[in-house]
Amino acid sequence: MVDFEFSEDEIRFRDSVREFAKRYIEPKWIEIDEQGKIPMDLIRKIADQGLYAIPVPEEYGGMGGTMVMAALAVEEIAYHDPAVAIAVYTLLQNGWPLALALFGQEEAKMEILPKVASGDAFFGIASTEPQGGSDVAGNKVVARKVGGKWVINGEKAFISGVRELQELPEGGGFFLVAKTEKPGWSHTRITDFAVLPKWNGKIREEWKPTVYEEIGRHGLSTGGFTLENFEVDDKYRIGDVNKGFYLVLQGFNIARILVSAATIGSARWALDKAKEWLTTRKLFQGRPIASFEGVSFRYAELYTKLEAAKYFTYKAAWMADNTYLTKSPKFKPQDVNLPVAMAKMMGPTTATEVYTEVLKWFGAYGFTKDCTAYRGWLGTFSYTIGAEGAQNIMKYIIARDTLGSDAVRNVWVKEED
Amino acid sequence: MKVLVAIKLTYDINQLKFEKDGTPLLDACPKVMGEADKCAMEEAARLKESGKAGEVVALTIGSSKEHQRMLKDAYAMGATKAALFKVDDPDTLSALSVANIIAAFAEKTGPYDLILLGSGAGDTHSSIVGPIVASLLNTPLLANADRVSVEGNNVTIVSTLEDGQYKFTSKTPVVVTVTSEANEPRIPTIRDILRSKKKPIDEVSPEDIGVKLAMIDLVEIKKYEVPRKRVKIEATDNVEEAIDQLIKTLEQEGVI
Repeated sequence: MVDFEFSEDEIRFRDSVREFAKRYIEPKWIEIDEQGKIPMDLIRKIADQGLYAIPVPEEYGGMGGTMVMAALAVEEIAYHDPAVAIAVYTLLQNGWPLALALFGQEEAKMEILPKVASGDAFFGIASTEPQGGSDVAGNKVVARKVGGKWVINGEKAFISGVRELQELPEGGGFFLVAKTEKPGWSHTRITDFAVLPKWNGKIREEWKPTVYEEIGRHGLSTGGFTLENFEVDDKYRIGDVNKGFYLVLQGFNIARILVSAATIGSARWALDKAKEWLTTRKLFQGRPIASFEGVSFRYAELYTKLEAAKYFTYKAAWMADNTYLTKSPKFKPQDVNLPVAMAKMMGPTTATEVYTEVLKWFGAYGFTKDCTAYRGWLGTFSYTIGAEGAQNIMKYIIARDTLGSDAVRNVWVKEED
Repeated sequence: MKVLVAIKLTYDINQLKFEKDGTPLLDACPKVMGEADKCAMEEAARLKESGKAGEVVALTIGSSKEHQRMLKDAYAMGATKAALFKVDDPDTLSALSVANIIAAFAEKTGPYDLILLGSGAGDTHSSIVGPIVASLLNTPLLANADRVSVEGNNVTIVSTLEDGQYKFTSKTPVVVTVTSEANEPRIPTIRDILRSKKKPIDEVSPEDIGVKLAMIDLVEIKKYEVPRKRVKIEATDNVEEAIDQLIKTLEQEGVI
């Protein structure tokens, strides 16, 4: 039986996050975007409210919730922080910890995840490299086994949380994707690791970070880093050797659902702001702008698209819950690819479309910094460009899973070039 | 110490919108636990956490899904028991009827050392339910508490009156009404929410607590209205003079 209602627990949880975000995030989001930093006390407050590691099982210090709940939390936070820095920090602290909980080794999970849940540590993703992010099989960072340990060398680029993990009391790290033993294009020679450049309060010297300057979503840092003979104990290996490609793609599936939720929350705020404007701003002898069909019909289109994006997102979250948490025999991990790709294609693209239109509705005021909507436009645009997966990669996944991989395979790709 | 907290499901005034003529759009407004009631619940939760209260019973009147959800939230905030007095249309009950129900419930399931209520509901804001409960139970009343503290059998509140803050102390049993300034109520965490979902809600009927339905006066509520008045002040360039004028006018109108 089809049921489009959230459960009682989900509604109560969503309302609690809404109240929390209204009380603690909404009054600060502009200041955070201006100052380029989420205050540490807010990071801690979000942890105390139990909004990190929501879908991570309780035995690892997680909240024992679901991906649907994580998506609801991220959407509500983004509604009250349309520039999405806090929403993205929160989604990283949910998505990648779940990936570690699903695929990591017991000892590493017990060591890392409780500290992420308590807000003392950060755990994000380090996949993209200077030569690109979409071509994961082309990554050049190499992990070699020397004695009982792994030694990692290379450079990662456009990584979220590089500054925050240095500032957090415990530190933290990344779900890091590395080529096993030697560089070269291959998706069957990739191994994933939980790499912790700062742990137990100490920063490792073999890790050299830089922080970039971005055009929006200033509260959350993006940077790069090099690893020079960075030693990692085998207990931090995530999954089997050379199976890392398949695992990180599942991690991306989890994170993409939450990215879509963040962009939807921000766009919902923009449409609500626009609604106030369109129904009260009067022109041509006192007519509200909404009375012109050129405006109201466009509003109707965008409202509908955003609702559609929401359905895609929560369906994908529901699929992920069935696949990874309740482990329903009806679903396999690859079944999650298509709904996630559609959600990640719809969410950010719709948000960008909403903001572009909303800013126009605001007229010249929309082009001033007094009109805060530009902050949401810039913040969500990051995800239309491609953070957590480029839009063209989403289209590739949708085409591959619907037309068949033989039909869409790029013929020039050869394994092990 | 055994504590009863009476809570009301009321309009979320933060989300209430109005028609042009000032009529509130009540049907479109979500309902939540009243702000002052939430502060009363928070005081009870703090007493339990500090070990001063053992049992904390949350009571509400109604029968909707939202009422059940609010009682689960009371559990998530710290209640040890929740009771729902089943009435289909609780908004039509008069303040006297509500007080009758609370007092009868307290007599049947008590004795309670402390009965906490919000000082006023978000919609009707009559502020008379607490005083009537105290009079029906023949216990002292400490009203409009901005702060509550408990030491042994003594309950002390700080209340803000027109000419300053007053401290009042009473021995238990006592009825205390709490303002929305009393504390910053906790927001249930995901763990609290998940743990409270299977907690039982005791359904209470008029017969269970000996309240005769005849005692319940049904009244029809047509509109909640806050009277508004516009007074013009002729202000000069002299700011101090203008301030004096403003204060004088506000005093004349009984605002301050």
